[in-house]
Amino acid sequence: MRRARRQPWRRWWPWALLAPGLLWLIGLYGLPLLALVPLSLSEPVSRFGLETVFTFHWSNYREVLQSHGPILLRSFGYALLATGIGLVLAYPLALAIRFRGGRWQPLLIGLVVLPSLSSYLVRAISWTSLLGDSGPVLALVHRLGLSGLLTTLGVLQDGRLLNTPASVILGLTTNLLPFLLLPLVVALQRIDKRLLEAAADLHAGPLRCFTQVVWPLSRPGLVAGLLLSLIPAAGDVVNPQFLGGPNQRMIANTIENLLLVQLQAPRAAALTLVLMALISLAVVLQLRGRGLEELPLP
Amino acid sequence: MHSRSPQPRGRRAFLRRLGLTAAGAALTPALLQACGQGDGGGASGGGGGGGGGGKELVLSTFPLYIDADAPGAPGSVARFQKETGINLRYLEDVNDVRQFFARIQPQLAAGRPLSQDLVVLTGWMAERLIQLGWVEPLPLAEVPNARNLIPTLRNPSWDPQGRFTLPWQSGIAGIAYNIKATGRELTSVNDLFDPALKGKVSALLEMRDTMGLLMLADGKDITKPTWEAAQPSFAQLEKARRDGQIRRFTGNDYQNDLLAGNLAACIGWSGDVAQLALEQPDLRFLVPETGGVLWADVMLMPKGAPNRAAAATWMNWVYEPAEAARIAAAVQYISPVEGVQQILAKDPATQALAENPLMFPDAAMQKRLHSFGPLSAKEEERWEARFAEITEG
Repeated sequence: MRRARRQPWRRWWPWALLAPGLLWLIGLYGLPLLALVPLSLSEPVSRFGLETVFTFHWSNYREVLQSHGPILLRSFGYALLATGIGLVLAYPLALAIRFRGGRWQPLLIGLVVLPSLSSYLVRAISWTSLLGDSGPVLALVHRLGLSGLLTTLGVLQDGRLLNTPASVILGLTTNLLPFLLLPLVVALQRIDKRLLEAAADLHAGPLRCFTQVVWPLSRPGLVAGLLLSLIPAAGDVVNPQFLGGPNQRMIANTIENLLLVQLQAPRAAALTLVLMALISLAVVLQLRGRGLEELPLP
Repeated sequence: MHSRSPQPRGRRAFLRRLGLTAAGAALTPALLQACGQGDGGGASGGGGGGGGGGKELVLSTFPLYIDADAPGAPGSVARFQKETGINLRYLEDVNDVRQFFARIQPQLAAGRPLSQDLVVLTGWMAERLIQLGWVEPLPLAEVPNARNLIPTLRNPSWDPQGRFTLPWQSGIAGIAYNIKATGRELTSVNDLFDPALKGKVSALLEMRDTMGLLMLADGKDITKPTWEAAQPSFAQLEKARRDGQIRRFTGNDYQNDLLAGNLAACIGWSGDVAQLALEQPDLRFLVPETGGVLWADVMLMPKGAPNRAAAATWMNWVYEPAEAARIAAAVQYISPVEGVQQILAKDPATQALAENPLMFPDAAMQKRLHSFGPLSAKEEERWEARFAEITEG
């Protein structure tokens, strides 16, 4: 008797716990996203009205891909580059924090996260002062005699740093760094130090120890970091706006312009869905053959 | 015509940055609201929802477009509140008229009133709203000072009978440059395309100003703009962008770049540059001989505005020449109120302003100024799409 009465509760309580989050996701994310699908296949009734008619207007997709394909590519290119540079910076940093940080670990992690506590926008605007034509960074570049090299590398364009691809990628990288670093540190912290001792006992040098023990065990952290950084970077709107020029616009700037300036909601919807599809594809590729449970997602 | 930024010098740089920050911060809510198609009060960014009492007034306008409070000298907003007892919520939340339109469109299209009683927008946008039937006729019977409106703005193209709008300020789009950076005086629009200035030039995202200036230099009549007439200018602009001649397309933010030395020359607005020149004496403003673009920002009442009487009191108050003179001295644009020049001329502190042809265009200046004529909705769509192709890469 008693058992029978308790069973329904047991069956339902996980759902009860899930309900708020699920409802939130479905109502505020899933449904609006679904609404984009018919909108992306519609045509506006009038230039300034809100009504659209659903006409299976596939050409919205063709038009946005034709007109904005290169910007899509550029966005992913910038995001990949920023993530790559971010990884090169974050990985050694994470190693140092994990294996040499000692009791300073929390402080060091805090220092990396600290800039993220200021507004995203304020950071981008601050970069414009630092990277400006009369700013300290360019002055340092000149003083160190690096301008020739940086021009050859394409970092400097017409002798400037601001409003170039390099400054946009730099802004993106700065924003990504904590998102790359934190999962990496978590993944590295999971590595049992005794494994390294065992590797050393088996005559593995530091390099071999890294390639055969540390690197494979840190990969879940890498994948999580990539997920957390590549997605927001590809859809960034602020860095290209403040640190880029007209030749460095990214896809989110285009979507904003289509929606708010050109008042082309169906095309903006089509482009948004294309972007989401590409990002989802990237996520699937990253996760292929890897269980989510392995990921040290926060 | 995106935003103006008049400010007393000491706080200028800081406030300008703040204005810029607000521009960006406004972006996200604007996007969300546009996506949501029609919920929430229109007066976002400035606080809570609107009240319905007769002693309240909600106004949306460009940032830094009025005299601010100074120690011992309250600004116009504070003085108006004190003198009339009307609780004025002065919201500086119009950063880009096109984005502002996207924000208010859902409510007005659904026939729901905004919480604003008055909105300051650029003339061409006012015309769009009037044609959509989203604007109330102004209660001009209760605005006796409207008779002080200067004759040249009484029958504007966007509102030929002057029933729906009263100008707030007007101004000129021309060329701003730093003479130290250019190394010479600039004399024409073509100087913007001088290879020596490559990557040191910006143009405005306000299509009518940028295209207007280029088309005038190309000898075209911008009072009756046609698609065909615009083609050479579109091509010129596109080439300059591709070649890296144009570093950025900007709203109000060209001012930072100009002061920071990132730009040598740009398309800018007369009042901004007059103010910036106080900080950076090497700045110059040129209205090219081929012509400058004259624009006006106007006050209008969105459909269903709740506080008509308070709105009339405000308009009447700012059309009092003495009050208009204070605002003009701060913002340094062309005041639409007659008698302002004489008031400024009497005060030694503002005498120089009264002689400034950018604030009070003389006959020679008047001849150079042209207003960008109306575009039909269909035409505008085509122009905006082409312009976006250039500005958005």
